Amino acid sequence: MKVLQTRVLILGGGATGTGLARDLALRGVECLLTERRDINAGASGGNHGLLHSGARYVASDVEAAVECREEGAILKKLAPQCIDDTGGLFVAVEGDNEQYVADFPAMCGRSGVPARELDLAEARNMEPVLSDKLIAAYEVEDASVDPFMLSLDNLAQAMTLGAGYERNAKIVGFTKKGGRIQRVGFLNEATGEEFEVEAELVVNATGAWAGIIAELAGATIHILYSSGSLLITQDRLTRRVVNRLRKASDSDILVPGGTVSVLGTTSVTIDHPDHCRPTVAEADAIIDDARAMIPCLETTRYIRAYAGVRPLVMTGQGSDARSVSRGFSLIDHAHDDVENFITITGGKLTTYRMMAEKTADMVCAKLGVDAPCLTKTEPLPPSTMGRWTEPGLGPKSWIGDRDGDDLILCECEMVSKNAVNTIIEHMGPMRGESMLQAIGMRSRVGKGPCQGGFCGLRVTGHLYDRGLVEGHQGMDELRQFVGRRWRGFAPVLWGLGMVQADLQEALYCGALDLELEDDDSRCGGDL
Amino acid sequence: MHFFDFGLSIASVICVAGVARRIALWWRPTTKPVSDPRPRPILSAVKALVLDVLLLARTVRTGPLRWLAHCLVFFGFMGLLLFHALDETVTVSFFPAYESTLDPWQFLRNLFAAMTLAGLGLMIYRRLAVRRLRAVTRTQDWAIVLAVGCIILSGVFLEMSKIISPAAYQRMADEYFYSDNGQEVTALKAFWAHEYGVVFSRRLPSDAATLEMGAELNEDNCAACHADTRSAFLSRSLATALAPLSPAMNTSRADTVFWYFHMIFCFIGLAALPFAKFFHPLSTPANMIARQGRRDGDAESPLAQRMGMDACTRCGECSVRCSVAPSFSVLGNPDILPSEKLASLRRFWSDGSLAGRPLADFAQGSRICTECLRCTDVCPSGINLQDLWMRSKKEVARRSPDPNGAVRLMRPSQRVVSFEDCNIVPPISGLADNAESYWACVQCTTCTSVCPVVAVCEDPSTDLDLTPQQIMNLLRMGLKDQTLGARMVWSCTTCYKCQEHCPQNIRVADVLYELRNTAAARMGCGDRAGIDGESQ
Amino acid sequence: MTRDTVYDVMVIGAGFAGMAASLFASSRGLSVAQAGTTGGIDFSTGFIDLMGVHPVSEQRRRMRPWKAVEAVVRDCPGHPYGLVERDELAASINEFTAFLAEQGLEYVGHDDRNTCVLTPAGTVKRTYRVPRTAWNGVVALEQKAPTLIVDFHGLKGFSAKQLMQTRKDSWPQLEAVRVEFPAGRGELYPEHMAWALADPANRVRLAETVMARAGGAEYVGFPAVLGLNDPLKVVTHLEELTGKKIFEIPTMPPSIAGPRLRGAFDRGLPAKGVRTLSQKMVLKASAADGDMLRFEVGTGAAAVTVTAKAAILATGRFFGKGLRANRQGMTEPLFNIPVVQPRTRDEWHGPDFFGPQGHPANMAGIEVDSRLRPLGDGAPVHRNLFAAGAILAHQDWMRMKCGAGLAIATAFKAVKELTG
Repeated sequence: MKVLQTRVLILGGGATGTGLARDLALRGVECLLTERRDINAGASGGNHGLLHSGARYVASDVEAAVECREEGAILKKLAPQCIDDTGGLFVAVEGDNEQYVADFPAMCGRSGVPARELDLAEARNMEPVLSDKLIAAYEVEDASVDPFMLSLDNLAQAMTLGAGYERNAKIVGFTKKGGRIQRVGFLNEATGEEFEVEAELVVNATGAWAGIIAELAGATIHILYSSGSLLITQDRLTRRVVNRLRKASDSDILVPGGTVSVLGTTSVTIDHPDHCRPTVAEADAIIDDARAMIPCLETTRYIRAYAGVRPLVMTGQGSDARSVSRGFSLIDHAHDDVENFITITGGKLTTYRMMAEKTADMVCAKLGVDAPCLTKTEPLPPSTMGRWTEPGLGPKSWIGDRDGDDLILCECEMVSKNAVNTIIEHMGPMRGESMLQAIGMRSRVGKGPCQGGFCGLRVTGHLYDRGLVEGHQGMDELRQFVGRRWRGFAPVLWGLGMVQADLQEALYCGALDLELEDDDSRCGGDL
Repeated sequence: MHFFDFGLSIASVICVAGVARRIALWWRPTTKPVSDPRPRPILSAVKALVLDVLLLARTVRTGPLRWLAHCLVFFGFMGLLLFHALDETVTVSFFPAYESTLDPWQFLRNLFAAMTLAGLGLMIYRRLAVRRLRAVTRTQDWAIVLAVGCIILSGVFLEMSKIISPAAYQRMADEYFYSDNGQEVTALKAFWAHEYGVVFSRRLPSDAATLEMGAELNEDNCAACHADTRSAFLSRSLATALAPLSPAMNTSRADTVFWYFHMIFCFIGLAALPFAKFFHPLSTPANMIARQGRRDGDAESPLAQRMGMDACTRCGECSVRCSVAPSFSVLGNPDILPSEKLASLRRFWSDGSLAGRPLADFAQGSRICTECLRCTDVCPSGINLQDLWMRSKKEVARRSPDPNGAVRLMRPSQRVVSFEDCNIVPPISGLADNAESYWACVQCTTCTSVCPVVAVCEDPSTDLDLTPQQIMNLLRMGLKDQTLGARMVWSCTTCYKCQEHCPQNIRVADVLYELRNTAAARMGCGDRAGIDGESQ
Repeated sequence: MTRDTVYDVMVIGAGFAGMAASLFASSRGLSVAQAGTTGGIDFSTGFIDLMGVHPVSEQRRRMRPWKAVEAVVRDCPGHPYGLVERDELAASINEFTAFLAEQGLEYVGHDDRNTCVLTPAGTVKRTYRVPRTAWNGVVALEQKAPTLIVDFHGLKGFSAKQLMQTRKDSWPQLEAVRVEFPAGRGELYPEHMAWALADPANRVRLAETVMARAGGAEYVGFPAVLGLNDPLKVVTHLEELTGKKIFEIPTMPPSIAGPRLRGAFDRGLPAKGVRTLSQKMVLKASAADGDMLRFEVGTGAAAVTVTAKAAILATGRFFGKGLRANRQGMTEPLFNIPVVQPRTRDEWHGPDFFGPQGHPANMAGIEVDSRLRPLGDGAPVHRNLFAAGAILAHQDWMRMKCGAGLAIATAFKAVKELTG
């Protein structure tokens, strides 16, 4: 069996894991990042993409508010390519708690979070979709962040500095000896190949799965799984982030993300992080609640829903998801008698860098490495790997520099053949893995209104043309891709979404028989 | 009469020289290939003379009111010209017994003047009342109306002042009435004062006997060469109306004053004839006779073209009917309108004085023209405008490269930048900016599949930059600027096939049409920016 | 015809069912008006399915469509096939294809069994009737004959290599080649390619290009771009030029197969006296004097009002605008006919898109009586209103593979009922 050697093994390729890989690489510490599926498969990919100004937490968690404020400013400066500095609003409508509204400016002041009171007419002028039943509005420094670009850029720099990356690597077990993890066993689910990693130190950055992984390693963390669903509208409804000015609750936030808006979220406790998926009931609940703030949310077209699991580390007796700390947990499992095992979980996307920094500090302390953190001052370089997640880049590059042989493969988001080829080139070896899925994650393919209905088949055809898939593999990937998209598509099927879905099923099932086993053995024979 | 001879000589010299120059310009040597002038059968020329010139047949096509106005002015003025101004040469040779103070001449003179004035009134009314006409009306249009009006009115005033003038009476009496009888003298005066409207400074008897005697004397001495001034209905009415002023006018010798005025106006009119619109009474008939009534848009010889250009009266009828006139309301460039463009075209071809901004405006107007033939079809002066536009386009393209064409030659990304540079946002907002316009799109590409413009392209992605479907998607994503320069937007024939075939009822063609308007407006701003930049 | 004309029947919808209803009604001497916009027929593969899978939950493919129809009538109460006799079903399809043949679109197939055809994804589909221009592909597939699939630079969503790869296990003699289209570069669209191939010179160049790469293939398959209105002529010409047996494989929608079908009806129906208000939607229906129905068709200056003694509702499902879904439920927008549907939206769709059960939402639709009259509160909504096609409840044409057959047969039945 293949055995890989490294100093630090990082489990989990979310924002924290990739951020940690970069942090360590910048400090000159050799590391290897493994991920069960692909970048941001968990909560890092299943959130609003909101770069908090801190205002959301001024009432509940002053410390978190301050952290958000500071980290937000750092990211805006150091990773501008991932951030759309939209600014944000906090608005209250008739019926919202007026006491909370009245206390808000003072609470912001206490945390040093800038908030400017707006004239209601001014607020409606800034964001015309706001309800006319507005009673208060504040301007804050929220922004939106592209989490995929962020993680891909982090990973890209880490890899150029020598870090390793293995995806589709499922952890099968830990080999321990004398209170130390000696080896971690993996199964590459795409190829079926097993391998082991030997490391001085193992960091568990698996987010919501941290408890499950820790348990495999013989340590204990109690985690509450809180599933949050979000809806994506077809259009960008606002220029700024719009927050409901009330005590943190469901359906509070509308975040513009490139050409769309993301609305959410819910908080549903589930029993296993793998069971997280958006539901019809959640979609309805989100719209029913949020339309008080933005009435057109009732009528606008939604293109999909998605969900992420927040890992809420239980520190006290509380079992309600919102009362449990949203701050992060950095745990040295030495007290669980696992000497070289650290867990980092919880936290927020906005503070991922700081979490990575604190974790790297602990790693270095344990390894006896004396190197300062550089992520606080060094800009995050943009990477080719990450750039295609940007909405609008496809069309701009199509207009800008295409050659005569190029074609649009994904019409909705205008991702061209050449763009797909570039993504493939920068994806690294893909033996046995779902190319289509990986392309989808690294670009806008499948993310437009057709939700894979047309582009799925076109990109599959292209993969066959290039010889990147063979036999039935491409078709299997297509089924899997459409199936994955369906999880987010099914909860928003009414109105125009239903029309789109009708067409998609007529194509994939009615015309292409993709739901059936592809078999021509009895053709021509007489039954 | 020193003044008269001197004035007439000067005016005539200017007139003749000017006309000669203008006509000479028609024959000026040309660098352009000369097509053979078609044979000109006399018959069709005569037909044109009768129909187009005398009956103003072409003018009928531009509307009854305009035709009426032109007929009134044309016939009224020609009447005055022939039977009054040129009475000694024209009228006398046909009617040896002619006397300007006799009827019907006296009456006709007033009738012609009244017709002319009525026609001018109609013209003024139309220029004020028709909105698009008002937009193209220039000083010279008013100048010619004013000039003709002044000639006529000063004539009427002159005649009026003569009617009331005792001096004028005395001149006639001195010449034709030999009598030492004080009673007779008084009686004739009394008769003229009572019946013919002369205003004497001294009160005259008005008893029946005196007047009867005066009538007899008048019959014997005056009637042979002076009719009742009542038939000079304009002047006489004017005299009645201005009766309170009569003594003052008489003491100030108003008849002499008005004579000078009338002469000066006539000389000005004569001298102005070769200039600008004043020339059209000559050039338009010449052009129409030369064209022999043809209305087609066939190519013409340079002579015919120049003659045509000179025939333009800037009546604005072409601009009223121009099919791209709506672009004028968007871009505000008058050279989009044929009547205005023709004026620039004259400069463009004659002396090369057209440069800078005016050249850019002219070039833009030239490019926007769709050669739909409507202007040529309607032109009351029978100008072959179509041919002029088509001839000039090539030269325009050479002297003023098309910014639109230049944009088309740019790489699409550069084009986007040039649109982004333009900070004037046209006040057009509607379908294209509204995300709801694209909500229903299911990405089926039917719009592109059925598009005939895409179909005729050898390589749509190069020839058109973007397909209709791609434009809809860019707009859905809020990337409007990226679409404005797309050749597809400019090549769309608005056949509406895309819109009709869209299973989701998306208004694809309407959106493309709106984009073109937006782009045109920004294009205009780009032009302006460029020109302003140069001049600074 | 003046606006005051009263038609015997108004056909609402211009998909398979609407076209079939207009055809059958006009052939029986009725005066017909028809309205409908681009819809299902424009997006079809051009194949005519009769019955392909039953039971859906077992994903059991059927080669014997008639047996499958019997089984589905037996097992699925309410399936619209239960309202149509077998001989009516057979007659309707024959009449439908006979009309298409008259219009130059000949259809072929076996009377008693389904036919296997290649899809643009490379999968093999069972259907009942295929265009004559696809038939050589059926034979080549059955015999696994040496075959070359040709695709074109610039035509997206059709990969010969994909077809070859998906079929290579059972059909080793299948080859793929990509060539330049003889007329046009860059992005290509089937309709435009079809127009280009109307020019024999382009066919000659295409044949030369292909022959240079054809090797020992007996059959050559092309994406369906071989001519718009007279594909058989193009295919025959290419066969003469190449000496190979030529066939077409449908492309992704919007392919040329749909416009060919629509074109046949657009030419043929007006010739039969049908007043086609094409590309216009029926926006409002109301009752008029004497059991008549009045319809407002189209918008703006082109809007017309049509009065008819009877109507056939063939507006399809969600894509065809026959049904509308909102967060609260499904409705039928024109007559407000109650829609049989799952109780809550939660139950509309299964968790797995390709799940064998299919999605309950697809069984939703309008309920009809034995004469195909839509029911509301247990009674017909209108004495002379009939329904046909995919709008009918208790069928999942996409999973059962019965879309065209169902549309044609119910249209046949509806016309029969309204004349009878």
